[in-house]
Amino acid sequence: MLKKILFRDSKNFQFIFATAGALIGLTALLLSLQLIMDVQSFHSNEEELFGPNSVVIQKKVTKLTTIGMNSTEFSPTDIQSLKDKEFITDVAPFKSADFKVGISEVEGDGLPHFYADMFFQAIPSRFMDINVDWEWNEESEFIPIVLPRDFIMIINYGFAQSQGINQISEELLMAARLTIYIDGNGKKTQMIGRVVGFSHKISSILVPESFLTHANGIYGNGEIKNSSRIFITTKDNSYGELDDLMDEMNLDINKSAIDVAKIKTIIAVVIGIFGIASVLIMLLSLLGFVQYSQLVLSKASYEIKTLLRLGYSIKSIVNTFIKQLSITFGIITISAIAIMFIVKLFVVNTWLENNGINIEGSSLVTTIIVAILCFGLFIVSNYLNIKKTVNKLGDA
Amino acid sequence: MLLEFKNVMPFPLKDYKHDDTSVWKSEFAIEFPKKVLLNANSGKGKSTFVNTVYGLRKDYVGTVLLNGSPIDTLSIHDWIELRRTKLSAIFQDLQLFPELNVWENLTLKNQLTSHKTEAEMEAMLSLLGIGDKKYQKCGTLSLGQQQRVAIIRALLQPFELLLMDEPFSHLDEGNAKIALDLISAETDLNGGGFVLTSLGSYHGYTYDHELKL
Repeated sequence: MLKKILFRDSKNFQFIFATAGALIGLTALLLSLQLIMDVQSFHSNEEELFGPNSVVIQKKVTKLTTIGMNSTEFSPTDIQSLKDKEFITDVAPFKSADFKVGISEVEGDGLPHFYADMFFQAIPSRFMDINVDWEWNEESEFIPIVLPRDFIMIINYGFAQSQGINQISEELLMAARLTIYIDGNGKKTQMIGRVVGFSHKISSILVPESFLTHANGIYGNGEIKNSSRIFITTKDNSYGELDDLMDEMNLDINKSAIDVAKIKTIIAVVIGIFGIASVLIMLLSLLGFVQYSQLVLSKASYEIKTLLRLGYSIKSIVNTFIKQLSITFGIITISAIAIMFIVKLFVVNTWLENNGINIEGSSLVTTIIVAILCFGLFIVSNYLNIKKTVNKLGDA
Repeated sequence: MLLEFKNVMPFPLKDYKHDDTSVWKSEFAIEFPKKVLLNANSGKGKSTFVNTVYGLRKDYVGTVLLNGSPIDTLSIHDWIELRRTKLSAIFQDLQLFPELNVWENLTLKNQLTSHKTEAEMEAMLSLLGIGDKKYQKCGTLSLGQQQRVAIIRALLQPFELLLMDEPFSHLDEGNAKIALDLISAETDLNGGGFVLTSLGSYHGYTYDHELKL
């Protein structure tokens, strides 16, 4: 009966506008949030290995370099100036093996016979976002190795054909063990290695830093001083600064490696702007609802005062309002989630599929939690407003 | 319940010349249960008295005390509790819900207090001659009928003090007498008292005490 008294004549235009605004705003907010998360969930293999904002930089080799007039090494001053850049969050020079490395198959593991001279480099393991055990110690069964993806292309489409040996798949190469020959500082040894991943970004043969430190200590010739390649991690959206830096320091960089991240950032920014607009619509509709409840309250001010005079508690009156608004906004929230889901499933996903873009899709949980938070924000702000107004009417 | 007035003077009445016997600007105390008549002409502050004691008006100087506590120290929550358990009122403007029917207006109060059974409520309606109006919207009733609904509603709760602001102004003497008898009986049942404001009529009833304005 309280509802009948308090919500007399309450279904008006203001209610319809506030409801429509809240539904549109919340749906747009949830949709943009879900799309941002979907885009973020799209990973290239590189990112799985090294994280999204890491790039390798090296100095360009010029004619002067070739005749020995300048060096591609990064001096400690160079490294310090990189560290001082505001947009660079991490700097790690490559460590190189200070000894000769050769590599061949382990007989019986399925690989054709081959032998190649090699080199090893290492970057700190904090850059390696890899699912296998990248740590190495003297008890380790094998040395984990990350190869450049081009390496296997050269083997399969160049070397194997010209030498008449069988081509090898990535899976086979990763399953097989390799014999590693080490020669330096007057000592020789053989060890076992295993390929654990491939990289587009780094055209180098990577081994764990712990192994390289250990091996350089024993077999190192003491020849290598400064590093000529550096691994850096940048802040999000700092591609402009990176371009400037490349010009300034005459750097070489694998641009394609950052393209995916760049496109993702652009899409995220576009959706983000849409998201900000949705937040504004949401806030406006929230204001609309607060105003609507204010209108209902002022229309029912006689009823509220009389109920308080009859002995009805402020709590019971406020709860009647909140219960009614919770039902309304509950329906809005559930509808917004449903519309978001339908749009994502039948419009966005269909479009992506038709355009050959495969995105795993992220979980709906975060979006639903955000929807519930919006519901909570809505209820709390209305609760505070209604409680304040009813209290004021009680005191009047 | 002890009601005390200490030099109370409502702002709107401060320019009036009040008699020495007036409750305004004087000191008195009434220990209820007592049946009190507050007799005065129009404009002397009968409604102001009722609304002040009921906590609806705060525009006065002086001190009003209920059971020894100044009422201006009571919170809205204290007032709500008092109005549910100890203090009832019939307002001059009745304060009914016009869009609700008679029965809904009554059950709205009785739901809160569970003070009377449905049969008792129906008996009261019949006694006051509006048993056939049970499902009629209050807004469509005559003022006299509305007044009787407001009287019954005020009796649907326990009380130590019932404040009545000209509750029979639209009733003939016969109906007023029936209503006052019902009120008196219910007051006794509650072990409480009342203050009845009137424009001079005693409604054929003998009161324990009379106040003047």
